[in-house]
Amino acid sequence: MAPKNLSFILEKAGQVKYEDRPIPKLSSPYDVLVNVKRTGICGSDVHYWVHGAIGPFVVKDPMVLGHESSGVIAEVGSAVTTLKPGDRVAMEPGVPCRRCVRCKEGGYNLCPDMKFAATPPYDGTLAKYYVLPEDFCYKLGDNMSLEEGAMVEPLSVAIHVSRQGQIKPGQSVVIFGAGPIGLLCCGVAKALGAKKIIAVDIQEQRLEFAKKYAATGSYISAKVPATENAENIKKEFDLGNGADVAIDASGVEPSIQTGIHVLRSGGTYVQAGNGKPDVVFPIMAMSNKEITTKSSFRYSTGDYQLAVDLLSSGRLSVKELITNQYPFLEAEKAFEETKGGKGVKIIIEGPEE
Amino acid sequence: MDSDAKNPSCLLYGPLDARFEDRPVPVLSDPHDVILRIAYTGVCGSDVHFWLDGGIRTYVSEARPLTMGHEASGTIHAVGSAVSSLVPGDKVAIEPGYPCSRCERCKSGRYHLCPEMKFAADPPKVHGTLSKYFLLPASFCYKLPESISLSEAALMEPLAVAVHAIRLADIKPGSRVIVFGAATVGLFCAAVAREFGASTVVSVDILEHKLRFAQKFVGSSVGRTAMPDSSLTPEENAKRLVEEHQLGEGADIAIDASGAEASVQTAIFALRMGGTFVQVGMGKRKIEFPISELCEHEITARGSFRYGAGDFDLGIRLVGQGKIILSGIITKVFPFESATEAWETAKRGEGTKTLIEGPRN
Repeated sequence: MAPKNLSFILEKAGQVKYEDRPIPKLSSPYDVLVNVKRTGICGSDVHYWVHGAIGPFVVKDPMVLGHESSGVIAEVGSAVTTLKPGDRVAMEPGVPCRRCVRCKEGGYNLCPDMKFAATPPYDGTLAKYYVLPEDFCYKLGDNMSLEEGAMVEPLSVAIHVSRQGQIKPGQSVVIFGAGPIGLLCCGVAKALGAKKIIAVDIQEQRLEFAKKYAATGSYISAKVPATENAENIKKEFDLGNGADVAIDASGVEPSIQTGIHVLRSGGTYVQAGNGKPDVVFPIMAMSNKEITTKSSFRYSTGDYQLAVDLLSSGRLSVKELITNQYPFLEAEKAFEETKGGKGVKIIIEGPEE
Repeated sequence: MDSDAKNPSCLLYGPLDARFEDRPVPVLSDPHDVILRIAYTGVCGSDVHFWLDGGIRTYVSEARPLTMGHEASGTIHAVGSAVSSLVPGDKVAIEPGYPCSRCERCKSGRYHLCPEMKFAADPPKVHGTLSKYFLLPASFCYKLPESISLSEAALMEPLAVAVHAIRLADIKPGSRVIVFGAATVGLFCAAVAREFGASTVVSVDILEHKLRFAQKFVGSSVGRTAMPDSSLTPEENAKRLVEEHQLGEGADIAIDASGAEASVQTAIFALRMGGTFVQVGMGKRKIEFPISELCEHEITARGSFRYGAGDFDLGIRLVGQGKIILSGIITKVFPFESATEAWETAKRGEGTKTLIEGPRN
């Protein structure tokens, strides 16, 4: 008999399986049931798959993986007014409590009771069905594919990073790490009117890609002190006293250090990447240059809608970042390929394709 | 009204037509809601407006009467199954409007601007606090510190209005501030401005006794008072104010808590170049506004509406810590059955804040 809601589940580190789970029920009249069609794989998904945990979040019970998804509305609750069955949507996979101080202040990504897909103990989106509130589903433009819909999640991360950095037209931005997030940050910086966008990485081919995509220049980090890398970048790209904004999308200690050193006085640094929990940080340079150091966590009000708008208006393209696609029953291959680090974004189709 | 009424309530049917009725006792359906027993409801200028005109923009009617009141305090009567922060018996001040929590305004931290806001005593459908019981989300109830009584707690709502206005005004230590209007909200604006570090706060009113009270309420280290001369133009009054109180090139911030056209005009003229004006008072819906002044002096003008994230918390903290002392603000308390007398008292401009008790049994 055909499964009703085939799901891709992590039992423990390195062990996955397929299981037919009950179709989730709408929890409120404002909910919708989404038939998940495409799911991108993120570094964090790979981390859970390999280690069974990220920091304090430990997979104790079998958990459905995946959170970067798009789908088609299957059913709507009785109070839903803006969506109907058949609508194609990007799915924002984290639902806050809406009642606490953080939520009321407008920073719902910081809600302590956030229910985020595929962060234990909450199941993810690599299943046939997923329930979300109406306001966490965003209709795709008619000219957008479901694959682009799945890219809205990482694009929203990049948009949130750029908002934290307050990138303005005419500014210079240095972005460390040319993986999916770093590349998307280049794209967003360009859409926001940055004049100079320098991608930094240790891999030549990633930098080639970055330059073809949205960066105006690229730099391969050398095994020299961070201050020296920073000086080289400033000179090569004529950044004067330094860049206006530096974004670290690598999580790597030398990049974090170089990011601080490459900024001008009064510049802004944004920590987007995750790596070692503790690093050696150039606090004196930050202090003496009065640098504003910010960090970026997931996304908040307006980020998803802006992502959809940038894609549907054509101001930003993400198609070129999708390097491979796998059927649902070959999901593990997608994880392996992502872990291998050769492509940019690997997508898994929904169970019905 | 029947003495075995379960939920005695005061409803407005139209101008000067209030009736006491028994309404259904609220029932907990959302696990995050609470029901409280109302202790006091304060009278606001808008309540007087409703009493005289039957509404402001939206109106009550014979077919759709509405329970009045929105500045309230009470004791928790019952809590929903998911509520852990409050228990029956807790004394609370309430924020009487709850938003949808799903729209763009709500999610961007400005829930008070939610188009679906359910605000107490808002026609046609949202009943107010002049009843025995009232239902609202637990997250919109604020447990009182020991030092705040239930009657004082009814002042937390207008205090939150003032906190909201002051936060929008962005008052910093050293700011020179003028507040037009020395009724409850104006007095609170002046005191909160003082707490935010203003070096000078000038309270302006046309009534001598209000200015005398304001001087005591705000204190002499920071507080000043001024009465406009009705024979002078707003521009002339502004010049006089700035000179008499040594405000240099003009005030940094001016807040209108009076709603009077002349006050708004005077405020704009009394600001320095680049100053900030906040409109919190409500009066005539359209006025003549010195727009060229606004432009040439690059003045920032902001509207201030009710209260939002963090305003009640801050107000309660300021009072709880003894930084704002409330004595003298409550000038008369009426029993529930005399609600219309309370509105008439406020209409006559008597006293500062008039309260109405919740139903006794």
